[in-house]
Amino acid sequence: MFAGDAPGMVAQLARFAGALRAEELRVGLGDEIDAATVLTHLDLLDRAEVHRALRIAFKLPREAWGIFDRLFAQYWDGDIAAARGAPPTRPQHRQKPLQWKWDGKRVRLVAADEEEDPTGDTPNYSPEAMLRRKPFERCSADEIAELERLIARLAPRLAARKTRRLVPTRQHGSVDLRRSFRHALKSEGDFLRLARRARAIEEPSLVVLYDTSGSMEGYTRLLLAFAFALRRSIRRAEIFAFNTSLARVTPLLSPAEVERSLMELSAGVPDWSGGTRIGECLAEFNARYLDRLVRRNTTVMVFSDGLDQGEPEGLGAAMRELRERAGRILWLNPLLADARYQPEAAGMRAALPHLDYFGPAHNLEALERLTRRAWRA
Amino acid sequence: MNEEIRAVQTEMERFGYIAEPEIATAVFLAREMRRPLLVEGEAGVGKTEIAKVLARMLDTELVRLQCYEGLDTNTALYEWNYQRQLLRLKIAEKEGRDPAKLEDLIFGREYLLERPLLRAITRREGPAVLLIDEVDRADEGFEAFLLELLSDFQITIPELGTIRAEHIPFVLLTSNRTREISDALRRRCLYLYVEHPGLDKELRILQNKVPGVNAQLARAVARFVHRLRTREIRKLPGVAETIDWAQALLRLHRDTLDAETVFNTLGCLLKDQHDLKATSDSVVAELLEYAAAGD
Repeated sequence: MFAGDAPGMVAQLARFAGALRAEELRVGLGDEIDAATVLTHLDLLDRAEVHRALRIAFKLPREAWGIFDRLFAQYWDGDIAAARGAPPTRPQHRQKPLQWKWDGKRVRLVAADEEEDPTGDTPNYSPEAMLRRKPFERCSADEIAELERLIARLAPRLAARKTRRLVPTRQHGSVDLRRSFRHALKSEGDFLRLARRARAIEEPSLVVLYDTSGSMEGYTRLLLAFAFALRRSIRRAEIFAFNTSLARVTPLLSPAEVERSLMELSAGVPDWSGGTRIGECLAEFNARYLDRLVRRNTTVMVFSDGLDQGEPEGLGAAMRELRERAGRILWLNPLLADARYQPEAAGMRAALPHLDYFGPAHNLEALERLTRRAWRA
Repeated sequence: MNEEIRAVQTEMERFGYIAEPEIATAVFLAREMRRPLLVEGEAGVGKTEIAKVLARMLDTELVRLQCYEGLDTNTALYEWNYQRQLLRLKIAEKEGRDPAKLEDLIFGREYLLERPLLRAITRREGPAVLLIDEVDRADEGFEAFLLELLSDFQITIPELGTIRAEHIPFVLLTSNRTREISDALRRRCLYLYVEHPGLDKELRILQNKVPGVNAQLARAVARFVHRLRTREIRKLPGVAETIDWAQALLRLHRDTLDAETVFNTLGCLLKDQHDLKATSDSVVAELLEYAAAGD
């Protein structure tokens, strides 16, 4: 059925699909079958035609065309030897459970059995209410562990957002004629009770940009835990880390492989705990991701102290651009915990006019407050 | 090139759509393999137009479903005609009919209002062209529902039973990529990405869509817009904007482009305040120079 006169063709196609997958393109068996079917309709001697048609059959988005074209040249233009070289190797992940350790300077991963606790902290129970107000940077290791549990509980609440879609409700909302009618039939056409429907609660879309520069050190870990938790409960959450450059860390945060995520995270974010260039990083975010990730119902959360080494004009312009696209922009600044703090840093002042909410993020209570602010009513 | 693909290309052109080989190939394959075609690309590159031309080519009805956030089955699929149903009920009451039979009476096809998706599969005269426009605007839940419809081409109405497609429609989905379409839906379809047209293609489109335009002006307009798209602007002008602009120039009886005319009509091309402001005298001068070059 598939290019039966050329069995080599199908094998070739399978190798090609494998190469696409090795480049992390999402190509499934169904796509391969489509591609094989497509080949039966084509003039196989016409390179351009095969090229176009395979791109259609593999359903590759525009960003993937570069990779596709390169591999196509390798696999279909005779240069197969090059393509058959060493298959891409994936790092072997350790099976031992890993723990995410904070050694006071940076996030570090250690295998559970090499866990050491030289400080010899005794378990230090804090009542939850106190813990909620305690600034993150003054929390002990155990308190941080407890906070992480609380944060994990907080995230799902944040994930509740109302949409315009209507779903049946018991009492409130507008009249749903279709269902009312069905009820009426049971009582011989009398509308004894009107069925109603109201706006559904739906999964929101969220972009988190958090600052991992040195000045944020005391907070990064728990804010990161917060981002993790959000990612677990909001499927459409995208997480970025920035300092002097921007890194998309969402792919490193796959909920199924948390341990691997953690390991890659500490390795994958360049210049962890260095300086900050917020404006440039935001501009880079806008250029690369704005179109794809941010739309009117997207909430953008920035965790940063706003101490920017770059030009404030750059930050202002980037925020303005973001403002035009995003539903809400929240800026969480741990420095706000100090009542004497005034947002006087040039960068912070440039960003302020574009924010929907500017608030503290130094303790759990501050994060809880977000649940009411995160989505447009 | 495959003769049949070339035939599709020629045919599309005959109906006023200048199709690149990529587009013709995708349309041909989707038709041969009876698969929906997902068309992505920036606003204004002519995604929707493909469906319109197809309907004309196949001499059939174009059924269009415009997606938006909150789109539900009442709007997309079917709705009961409540007023008629109520009326029928009252009459039945007067006639003293058996209440148990009421249901059969009022849940018949004649009380059903067909919405686009149902219409597309119940058309008797032959397969329709179903355009599901801007599918990225609908909720993800709706996407899942579409997936079901696009694999079985049947719709189940609880009161009426299952309605199977009379003819499988030719389905086109478009997306502006305000969000990613789910993998499942993407896989169900063949995929086409439409880019802004090249200079030659745009020139041909202009001559095709704006009949009165002289060759020199059309050329200048195409070159101007082509160059404009290479600049850092927010909303790149699409083909629709180019056509609008050429028509505006035609109405103003301009045969050539000059700075003043460009400034007065720039709103046809640039629809963003920021872009308009960023297009200064010197920028326009440079664009005009490019437009005039190669004459």
